[in-house]
Amino acid sequence: MKKILVVDDEPDIRESVKMILETRGYKVLTAIDGDDCLKKLKGDKPDLILLDIMMPGTPVTELVKQIKDVKIAFMSVVRISEARKKGLCTQDNIIDFIQKPFDVGDLIGRVELVLGE
Amino acid sequence: MVNQARGGIGLDSEKFDLKRILLSRLDRKLTLLFIIVALVAPSLAIYYFYIMAVSALPESIITNQSSLLQTAAIMIIILIAVDAGIVGFFVSRSITKPIKELYGATQEVEKGNFNVRADIKTHDEIGELGHAFNRTTAALGKMAKERKEIDSAKSEFLSITSHELRSPMTPMKAQLQMLQNEYFGKLTNAQKNSLNIVIRNADRLDKIIVDFLEISRIEAARLKFVFKETNLEEIIQETVDLMKGSAKEKNVKLKISMEKLPIIELDPDRVIQVLRNLIDNAIKFSKNKSTIEVNAVSERDHILLSVSDHGCGLTTENQMRVFEPFYQVEKTSCRKHGGTGLGLAICRGIVESQKGKIWVESTPDEGCTFHFTIPMKPVRDVEPIKVLFSQKDSIERKLKNAFQMALGPLGIGEFIELKNKNSLWKDDILEHIDSLTGQYILTPKQGEEFKTTINTIFGQEKEVINEE
Repeated sequence: MKKILVVDDEPDIRESVKMILETRGYKVLTAIDGDDCLKKLKGDKPDLILLDIMMPGTPVTELVKQIKDVKIAFMSVVRISEARKKGLCTQDNIIDFIQKPFDVGDLIGRVELVLGE
Repeated sequence: MVNQARGGIGLDSEKFDLKRILLSRLDRKLTLLFIIVALVAPSLAIYYFYIMAVSALPESIITNQSSLLQTAAIMIIILIAVDAGIVGFFVSRSITKPIKELYGATQEVEKGNFNVRADIKTHDEIGELGHAFNRTTAALGKMAKERKEIDSAKSEFLSITSHELRSPMTPMKAQLQMLQNEYFGKLTNAQKNSLNIVIRNADRLDKIIVDFLEISRIEAARLKFVFKETNLEEIIQETVDLMKGSAKEKNVKLKISMEKLPIIELDPDRVIQVLRNLIDNAIKFSKNKSTIEVNAVSERDHILLSVSDHGCGLTTENQMRVFEPFYQVEKTSCRKHGGTGLGLAICRGIVESQKGKIWVESTPDEGCTFHFTIPMKPVRDVEPIKVLFSQKDSIERKLKNAFQMALGPLGIGEFIELKNKNSLWKDDILEHIDSLTGQYILTPKQGEEFKTTINTIFGQEKEVINEE
């Protein structure tokens, strides 16, 4: 069973994403911010991290530098221009951008594509 | 026609005019006055002296020395006149110098520079005037600064609230979609209908929030343009192909006609955004089984794109107001559904951010054509454009009055014609006035006065536009 870590400071978003992905048979872990995310990573390594781009605490750009071996997809409520995306893709493991609010089908499609199913 | 008119005015002003040269400046006038007084006063004095001398002195002295006396008299008059002229010149210079200083400062204020101060050190009425001017300018500067702050606070507020409003949309839409997709069990038809209404309105709310965000970006000049060499023909073709589906639903055909377009640097996403919006509107308003034409032509310094529909068209009043935010065309048979009322306002913001123009031409009941221009060279230095609560309305009201004042009832027609061509820009209006003068509709003097009024109206606007 593939594991996904959802990092978002909004509990309702964490809960909703968890519910959606669990119905597709993924094991979903959640973290409430960057520091919590790093803590959770020390345990079971997930296959994918869905990472909110704007959270209180450690800036996401700093956070991703410490994550080298797990695929990351950013989630953002702010529309990210193509130019900005290039600036954010500093590492090979950053593989997607998900616009919030997302379409449920689209979210599942992207996750399945990324995890190769 | 316009050039001829300009040539005519030019010739008039180049004619040599001694009166104008002597009397157009205060210092020249005063110097001339001194010289005249200095010529008249000693002449009179010498004349009286001569009469007295003739009656008092023996006649022989007068006749013997007459040439000497005459020369002396003329010399005295000339010397006094020259002295008076020189004194007059310096006296008048001391008066006109502070006035010139004040005039220069006024011109700066007209340009919207409120930091200028008139440097006048005289302790007379002109000095007082200078101080009063400086105080007024300082007050104006303070007001302009406060207004800028209010404006940026408004944009900031708009941006923050829109983000805050958008955050709850994510879990809300996710949960609604899960319900709709029957993640939590089967739904009855009534439940499905109810849910569809909720989802439709949640989507609509989200669209409004997105549009507000877009407007806050346009107003704060934060609208991002990513320019790249683009084949516009491909972009237009792709956009039209993408819209064919929704056109088919309304039984409407989409047709493209374009000539060979140059490859230019532009932001394809923004062009698509505007074009989609216009085509979307055209589909909404099109009559069943009609055709929408998309045109593109390359002109001197821009490319002109047009979208024509055969819908119910717009009245003159509606043509003027259709780019205002939330303006809904008041005609029940043509009321549009599902839009946020911000689409065309955003289009205007995007096009004007690139210093292009957008306007509509229409015949009621026959359809309308929306035009917009894309400059051949991209504008990298984007300036803020007012979309909500714009100053444009009050300026337009003033312009309308100015047209009426200058041209009478004819003026309103001229104003509307220019407005519909989206030519209510300073240069366009000034050029139009020149052409009116050229056609002898206005005398050169009336034309100049009209132009001054227009310049004043735009002068007032400038400080609003020049915000950083």
